[in-house]
Amino acid sequence: MSSRPSEITISAEGMEVEIIPVEGEINVGPQHPGSGHMRIYVKVNGDIIEDVDMDVGYVHRAVEKLSEIRTYMQIIPLVERPAILDSINMNLGYIMAVEKIMGVEVPERAQYLRSFAAEVNRIASHLYGTGILAIFLGHSTGYMWGFGDREVWVEILQALTGARLTNSYIIPGGVRRDLTPTIKEMTLKAIAYQRKRMAEWRRIFLNNPNIRDRLENVGVMSKENAIKWGAAGPNLRGSGVNYDVRKAEPYAAYDKLDFEVQVYKEGDGYARTLVRFGEIEQSLNMLEQIIKEIPEGPILADRFFKMIPPARVKKWWDGMRRVVFPGYFASFRPPKGEAITRVEASRGELVYYVVSDGSATPYRLRMITPSYRSIYVFKQLCKGSRYPDLVSIYGSLDYFPPEADR
Amino acid sequence: MSILSLILFYLLYPSFFITVIFPGAIFALILLLLMIWFERKAAAFVQMRYGPLYASKRLGGALQLIADAIKYAISEIIIPNGVNPTLYALAPMLLITFAFIPIAVIPVSRIPISGSILSKYFLAFYDPDIKSGLYVGYFVPFNLLLALGLASSYSVFVLLTAWVTNNRFALIGAVREAFLSVSYDVLIVMSALALALEYHTLDIAKIVQSGIPGFIANPIAGVVFFIGVIMGTSRFPFEIVEADTEVVMGPYTEYTGLLYVITMGASYIGTYSFALLYSDLFLGGWAPFSGLPGAVWMTFKAVLVLAFSVFLRSVYGRYRIDQAIRGSWKYVLPAALASIILGLVVGWLWIR
Amino acid sequence: MDKVKEYKKEKNPFRLFGYHLAAVGEGIKHFIRPKRMTLMYPEEVQALPTGYRGFIRFYKDLCTGCTMCAMICPADAMKMVTQEGKKYPRINYGRCIFCGFCVDICPVDALKETPIHDVAFTSREQFRFPPDLFNEEFQEEPPLLSKPVKRVKPIIDEDRGVIYVPDEQ
Repeated sequence: MSSRPSEITISAEGMEVEIIPVEGEINVGPQHPGSGHMRIYVKVNGDIIEDVDMDVGYVHRAVEKLSEIRTYMQIIPLVERPAILDSINMNLGYIMAVEKIMGVEVPERAQYLRSFAAEVNRIASHLYGTGILAIFLGHSTGYMWGFGDREVWVEILQALTGARLTNSYIIPGGVRRDLTPTIKEMTLKAIAYQRKRMAEWRRIFLNNPNIRDRLENVGVMSKENAIKWGAAGPNLRGSGVNYDVRKAEPYAAYDKLDFEVQVYKEGDGYARTLVRFGEIEQSLNMLEQIIKEIPEGPILADRFFKMIPPARVKKWWDGMRRVVFPGYFASFRPPKGEAITRVEASRGELVYYVVSDGSATPYRLRMITPSYRSIYVFKQLCKGSRYPDLVSIYGSLDYFPPEADR
Repeated sequence: MSILSLILFYLLYPSFFITVIFPGAIFALILLLLMIWFERKAAAFVQMRYGPLYASKRLGGALQLIADAIKYAISEIIIPNGVNPTLYALAPMLLITFAFIPIAVIPVSRIPISGSILSKYFLAFYDPDIKSGLYVGYFVPFNLLLALGLASSYSVFVLLTAWVTNNRFALIGAVREAFLSVSYDVLIVMSALALALEYHTLDIAKIVQSGIPGFIANPIAGVVFFIGVIMGTSRFPFEIVEADTEVVMGPYTEYTGLLYVITMGASYIGTYSFALLYSDLFLGGWAPFSGLPGAVWMTFKAVLVLAFSVFLRSVYGRYRIDQAIRGSWKYVLPAALASIILGLVVGWLWIR
Repeated sequence: MDKVKEYKKEKNPFRLFGYHLAAVGEGIKHFIRPKRMTLMYPEEVQALPTGYRGFIRFYKDLCTGCTMCAMICPADAMKMVTQEGKKYPRINYGRCIFCGFCVDICPVDALKETPIHDVAFTSREQFRFPPDLFNEEFQEEPPLLSKPVKRVKPIIDEDRGVIYVPDEQ
């Protein structure tokens, strides 16, 4: 028997086993295949992670500081960049804050279109997240399927907004382009396709016992901890907290859409994955509703629409179903004021706080991104789990480093 | 005896032909390239893409792997500071050698007493158990035991590769291999033992010549043996040793260039030699053919087994090490015990 | 209030074995009938739809020099230069992010989006398009391939996801 405290002795009848803890550090990243854009400094004891130190900031782009020298319109592409695969949602929150300061009423059709684009974007983003989770678990088919199916939704966004990812679709007072019958038809087909694929996804990924083993009981976050650690979005709902900004504080057209918030009780990686899959299905339902129920009408607030020269309205809106900017947008000065908005981005609650001092640039723009809130959750969840689960937890949180670093 | 027939005699001499030409080294290397190509292609088919294509569009990109091999062969081998260069270079060689060596003792076909091009080796490779010549690199009456023993030494050299490179990820990979090897060796040996009890022999040839494929006589052992093989040679879903998102490349992290190709090839060659054994034990080996057609038939089945085991990449992710060990002891080991009991019963009632 | 769901943790080994078989079966199904959605890129090029925000074409004769495009440009790609006493925009494609704001704000429609997107330049100077060059239709050099490039357009399909069919134009 040893007297050193670090040695644990397990004794059974007639046999004694000495387990000497093997402590060490592993540097995961930033070039490690399982780290993403950050360095994870892992202290392990045998196969058990004792602590995780996350060295974030490798993709910091100073979005908040840059916005202080950009005009309000110029910030639109800027706020998209942190989470480029979720650009509609990133954009929507910012625009809502600006509209709040300016006191703009957004027409009904534009609200529906915002929801439409946001849901398409949510599906694409969740598929991306699932793909990353799959490749972290070594499941290359899930990775390729995620990215392949996402292509369908990216095509729809391209048809709608004119760009694959850098959509810049939402502008103060409305949206830039209208939903045409062609896009409606494309979307209906894509919905049918995605519904068919969900069964295949279930067979090869979700019900695959291998994947279930890697995700079940891994990174379990209780309801209390999820609230305490500030988890957001699907990670929060995977822990049994029924909170979705789309229900709690409806924006865009969500108060008119019928959908179910996906909440799972378990709080492990599998529950989080199921929440994402459930949300994809809910988004498909919502897209169908939007296509069915979308009202006719303008897509830009009357106040801005009147400023567009009539010749241009005739050419662009009547001809091509898209609105152009009034000259006012080049450098408008909203009144003094501040606004805080939140939207449910794909990865969770996204908060924007904008302060206007009456000049052409915001005095301050603060964005609290959902991935930023995952950092602490990640650190806490890793403690006590096994080293191979590091990637599993990482993937199941759908952590996106650029979004956290901003 | 003319020169030509003398050359033919030595060329076809089992100890040479089997180990070096078919199904040994040369065939194995070609197969290795084809299998990696197949693995990538099969994964691409499942994953809605094309896979390797441009290296030879007409052959579906089959030459891509040759291009890759050349690229690896001429790229620089970087030997890290602080390692023993001799051991560093030697470890992968030993690894591939011991992955390959079981092929020498696995019977490939039967030599009939006359009528075959191989009949002249009948006496030199006479197997009293089956009362016929045996086309095998080196004949021992207990070749099942010897093949398994040689194959199980493979994991020692995985540990060696990791140990000489002195890399943290490599050491984690090595520890994983050490843990796993305990589990999979037990499964492989027990399911082979089930067959040995069932057929009352340790001679693979007698198992094949009994005319009943092992998978029909003892399907449980067939499944258990297959799980042991994919676990032992780190195929999906047990690609735990070299899990790239967790431990970069496991024991082979520090290897570059040609040495890396060797380490990567070793696991495929290991699967291949186990697949040959699997084909003999469970899929009826060369029966009903004999001579060279028997060897081709037996190898063909082994290639199918190999193809299926690499195909699993497109279906599975990887298990965690503790899950793999728990699974193998908790679920597969009882199945292996059941296979032994089944083997005893069937061997007592049916196979005399 | 939406209900909190719970998933079933599967413990039955036979059902787990069934799930294994289903997964392998799904893999084999896709192996036998692959649903590819690859765009064979250098040989096939996606014909971008009208309204795609690609390279921008400038109509010098329409321009009034109002500098609105330079003001709204989020990336400072558009700058005004003075030519013959008149202000014209010039663009630096090294900075352009293809947001299309300049096109939308131009009060006289002197800027237009073109569906040209994939262009390679050999030097950084070529990124800069002074007003006169900006005024011309952008000449895309055909890539050096043995076969002519096929232009395809994506179609959303209910079975295959995205399929690429030859573009009629």
